[in-house]
Amino acid sequence: MAKQKKAQWPWHLLTGVILLGLAGSLWFAASLISYEWHWNRLPQYFAYQAEVQQRADDYGQVAALTAHGALTEVTLRSSAAVEQLLTVDSDSLQLAVGDDVAEGDVLGVTRHWAAGPLVWGLLTTLWISLAAGALALVIGLLTGLCRLSSNPTLRDLSTVYVELVRGTPLLVQIFIFYFFIGTVLNLSREFAGVAALALFTGAYVAEIVRAGVQSVVKGQAEAARSLGLNGLQAMRYVVLPQAFKRVLPALAGQFISLVKDTSLVSVIAITELTKSGREAITTSFSTFEIWFCVAALYLLINLPLSQIARRLERRLAQSD
Amino acid sequence: MIEVRQLVKVFDARGQVVRAVDDVSTQVAKGEVLVVIGPSGSGKSTFLRCLNGLETLDSGSVSIDGLDLSHPKTDVNAYRREVGMVFQHFNLFPHMSVLDNLCLAQQVVRKLSRADSEAKARALLEKVGIAQKAHEFPSRLSGGQQQRVAIARALAMEPKVMLFDEPTSALDPEMVGEVLDVMKTLALEGMTMVCVTHEMGFAREVADRVLFFDHGKLLEDAAPAQFFSQPQDPRAQAFLRQVL
Repeated sequence: MAKQKKAQWPWHLLTGVILLGLAGSLWFAASLISYEWHWNRLPQYFAYQAEVQQRADDYGQVAALTAHGALTEVTLRSSAAVEQLLTVDSDSLQLAVGDDVAEGDVLGVTRHWAAGPLVWGLLTTLWISLAAGALALVIGLLTGLCRLSSNPTLRDLSTVYVELVRGTPLLVQIFIFYFFIGTVLNLSREFAGVAALALFTGAYVAEIVRAGVQSVVKGQAEAARSLGLNGLQAMRYVVLPQAFKRVLPALAGQFISLVKDTSLVSVIAITELTKSGREAITTSFSTFEIWFCVAALYLLINLPLSQIARRLERRLAQSD
Repeated sequence: MIEVRQLVKVFDARGQVVRAVDDVSTQVAKGEVLVVIGPSGSGKSTFLRCLNGLETLDSGSVSIDGLDLSHPKTDVNAYRREVGMVFQHFNLFPHMSVLDNLCLAQQVVRKLSRADSEAKARALLEKVGIAQKAHEFPSRLSGGQQQRVAIARALAMEPKVMLFDEPTSALDPEMVGEVLDVMKTLALEGMTMVCVTHEMGFAREVADRVLFFDHGKLLEDAAPAQFFSQPQDPRAQAFLRQVL
């Protein structure tokens, strides 16, 4: 090639400038409205110091207090001369030696770090995505192959499934699953939510699988069959690996969609990331901060996901 | 060895019925090399594909060593193990290395260990002259090399019969020779072969018999010397005038 490759970096620089400009104008617009930003309220929704109250078991007296740094050991002696040992944080201690205590009195608290609602929400979103994604892959693969089957019943059934699921909104499907199927079959809300998401995504995966298999030329299956492989073996070793390589970008897109779609199961009171965010807003009143934060957490899942897909794609491209 | 009786294959393309193979009977003895020629659309490729069940038969029968392909109780996969096939467009598995292309069916169908199938694969790659490409992907190979790998892949299953479906038609002219050389070697070693080809030189030199097809019918079945010098059927005469 005689044409010299032009440097790319000025254009990337321009991209940076444009993004900074957009962020700046957003910043300026935000400063015009009367909203008090309180980013400092956010960390407590990730992790906080949980307090556990330490209570007396019986009526009695404080026999001794022994300080061990920030902790104090309290020795209680009941009227029946039974001793109870308790450890509390020193600064929360509300008693002196000789004080009378009644059964159930709070002597002080101990504190430990606990994960906040946003972390729990993120974990819930993750496991729902993983469970629904794995199920959707199985459902999609089977349905996709049924769509290509020579058996008319399998073909019909899979077509009905795909069309029903693609033609109705996911939100409605989640309601139907929870309120109707969930009631009839006595399903938990988590089960109903995961099942609805898996069936929804499975229908799209089925179409991706079908397109992928159809894109592999007929000669590949014929060559495999001519070597004595049966239909399933030819599919597994020859056709599907090639199909998978081609549909990987579409599949990755579908799973990224799935992660975002899990936000809809908040409507059946599953406390995943979006619902955790809504609950955090009711106690913090920091609406803007929380929503930005929730968006960032979804990105935290999805950006690595597309990165992995890109890497896999590059690895599979070796044989091209 | 191969026994074809009154084979009929009908294609139904939008109501238009075409008898692609029309009442063909013949037999191939062990070690015999048959070359099938004819104008395009004459049904010669369909005939070949019927021999290993890639096309279903509409009537008649095909059997190899008494194993009847058209019998409902015949395991078609077991039947195909006995028949190797080489395609016009090679049909190598692009997502596997050359070595894996040769090992797959040995391991999956014949249940051989990886070590055994690999030893066999390497020996065959040596034989077709591309041992040094064992770990390449097929896309890195020239057409002629790919077709030689495809021949080795079919041979790895130790078939009793090899079918060739226009194995040199998709090749650049300078690569035709290397593929034909491999086929000639096979023929000399006593492999039973049925080749659909336009290589008249190969037919003349290697074939024991030449079959001429037109419009699905087997019109002529003769030794090459006789076929090329004194074709009996007028359509064969016309065909030879055009190609020679």
